[in-house]
Amino acid sequence: MKSEIIGKTFWIKLDGETWSTDLSELDEQYKSANKKKAASADQILAPMPGKITKINIKNGTPVKVGDVLIVMEAMKMEYTLKSELNAHVAELKVTTNQQVTLGELLIKLTPT
Amino acid sequence: MHKQEYILVMKEIRRIAIANRGEVAVRIIKACEELGLETVLLHSDVDRGSRAYRMANTPICIGGAASSESYLNIQNNIQGALAGGADAIHPGFGFLSENADFAEACAKAGLVFIGPSAKSIRLLGDKISCKKLAQRAGLPLVPGYEGDDQSIKTLLSEIEKIGLPVIIKAAAGGGGRGMKLVRTMSEAQSQIESAQRESLAAFGSDKIFIEKYLDQAKHIEFQIFGDSSGHVQHLFDRECSVQRRHQKIIEEATSPSLTDDLRRQMGEMAASIGMLAQYQGAGTVEFLLQDGKFYLLEVNTRLQVEHPVTEEVMGVDLVKMQLQTAQGKFIFPKNFSNRPQGHSIECRVYAEDPYKNGMPSTGLLGTVSWPEGPRRRFEFGFEKGDTITSFYDPMIAKVIVWDQNRTAAIQKMIQVLQDSVVFGVHTNIPYLTAILSHPEFINGTMTTRFIEQYFPNGISLDPKKLTERKDIAKKAWQLHKKEKLTMNSPISKIDSPWLSYWRGV
Repeated sequence: MKSEIIGKTFWIKLDGETWSTDLSELDEQYKSANKKKAASADQILAPMPGKITKINIKNGTPVKVGDVLIVMEAMKMEYTLKSELNAHVAELKVTTNQQVTLGELLIKLTPT
Repeated sequence: MHKQEYILVMKEIRRIAIANRGEVAVRIIKACEELGLETVLLHSDVDRGSRAYRMANTPICIGGAASSESYLNIQNNIQGALAGGADAIHPGFGFLSENADFAEACAKAGLVFIGPSAKSIRLLGDKISCKKLAQRAGLPLVPGYEGDDQSIKTLLSEIEKIGLPVIIKAAAGGGGRGMKLVRTMSEAQSQIESAQRESLAAFGSDKIFIEKYLDQAKHIEFQIFGDSSGHVQHLFDRECSVQRRHQKIIEEATSPSLTDDLRRQMGEMAASIGMLAQYQGAGTVEFLLQDGKFYLLEVNTRLQVEHPVTEEVMGVDLVKMQLQTAQGKFIFPKNFSNRPQGHSIECRVYAEDPYKNGMPSTGLLGTVSWPEGPRRRFEFGFEKGDTITSFYDPMIAKVIVWDQNRTAAIQKMIQVLQDSVVFGVHTNIPYLTAILSHPEFINGTMTTRFIEQYFPNGISLDPKKLTERKDIAKKAWQLHKKEKLTMNSPISKIDSPWLSYWRGV
């Protein structure tokens, strides 16, 4: 077995398999420091670090389930973020070509 | 009148600039070192933490992280190469490697472009003129649309004419970027627009073309090489049918799908297109094979990512051959008759989460260790302490094995992957081993739809396994703390035999 702490993550290699666990799940002392924003249908967070390449909505735009809200690019591949709600856009937090980090809040929706 | 004599004035090449990054930059530096050539690495400002940066004689920063400011910027590359005192530029693959304007700009600046001439790149590299050339040569082509009218209306009506399913490709592209599959007319427009955006971002042109999609095809390609005397030879075939979103994941040489007759026909044709285009250096002629018939797919006017499997079965060094050809020193022996020996497989290791359908994974690398052994080859660009960023391709390494036959090579690859360690980013290694263990792959009957058919949502982890992993992590963490290792550094490590106690927990 091999293991290693990298940043706030504990990595393990055992029997041909590699996986990682957040230290916050293993140790009380990391819990407060590593609090994550909860993803929910009315808060669209960046699922990965990358660049915003297309924005289909503005503040106040009404959206339906399945509508493409934002297109992102990371590692040269495109990813589309869709709405899981019928809602309108309460707050758009990003602009085209902006670099975003993992878990960053991109859009707030108000369900209708 | 006297027979005209050509006096070829070859500039002596002593120092090579590398207009690339990652594992291919390392590959080129090693070949240069073996030939006694100095190296200049043209890198972006976020790539200081990389193996190529540490290995090159002279690293020169040519711009910002975004490829358009550095690796795709022609003038910055030329200026960097001149500042570094280079005589020639090796473009690697991707980025500017198939850009005829770049090849021309090199020549204007007095730098040797290591690759085919700008004219050959234009003829073959632009898929539209390549098809015209192939048509003249009588090569079978896949039905499609390649016209200049790029309006959505025309593109939609052409799709209807060709008949679904169709595939949309970047005219200036390669490597799967900007490629989109259209199965229904309702998704056609959004797929066209998406392909145009990706193409513009990756290649600087939004021109696309459309092709009938062969849905039971195998991807077979032939390595070609044009030497200093103008002779073009093929170096046999590779099969790259395992592709996800049209990006290759596993490649092998030679193909398990070709009869001797097909291999001979396709090889001869590949070499003859090369001859027609007066090809110099390394190139690849890609075919689709379905129901015993083959169609020309495209010609890539550069070194391929998967070139090592050819090197392994043919016993050649394609990068050294490229460098020597540019020096005017490489000529195939008259009796060159190398035949492929044994079997070689390459797996591309991507920084992505295999349990989240390939979501990119970035971060600081911890331990990276590759299990060395006979006929195991590891091409990698990043080591412990380097950071994988979201700016570039997710490929962080290539693992290549050779063995006596295909079955043995598959078994060897699975073992090698399981013994590899990458900490800090998630990798597709579990996904690769799942593919290598799949009956269709083992039988060699996989088509380009293999991933779509058998791994449409990637792979998933049994919830029981997930719980087990968490339990092991908790126990390992307690031991880790007991070992009282310094926690000041961002990376701390234990590799204790006592921890093997937790095996099978």
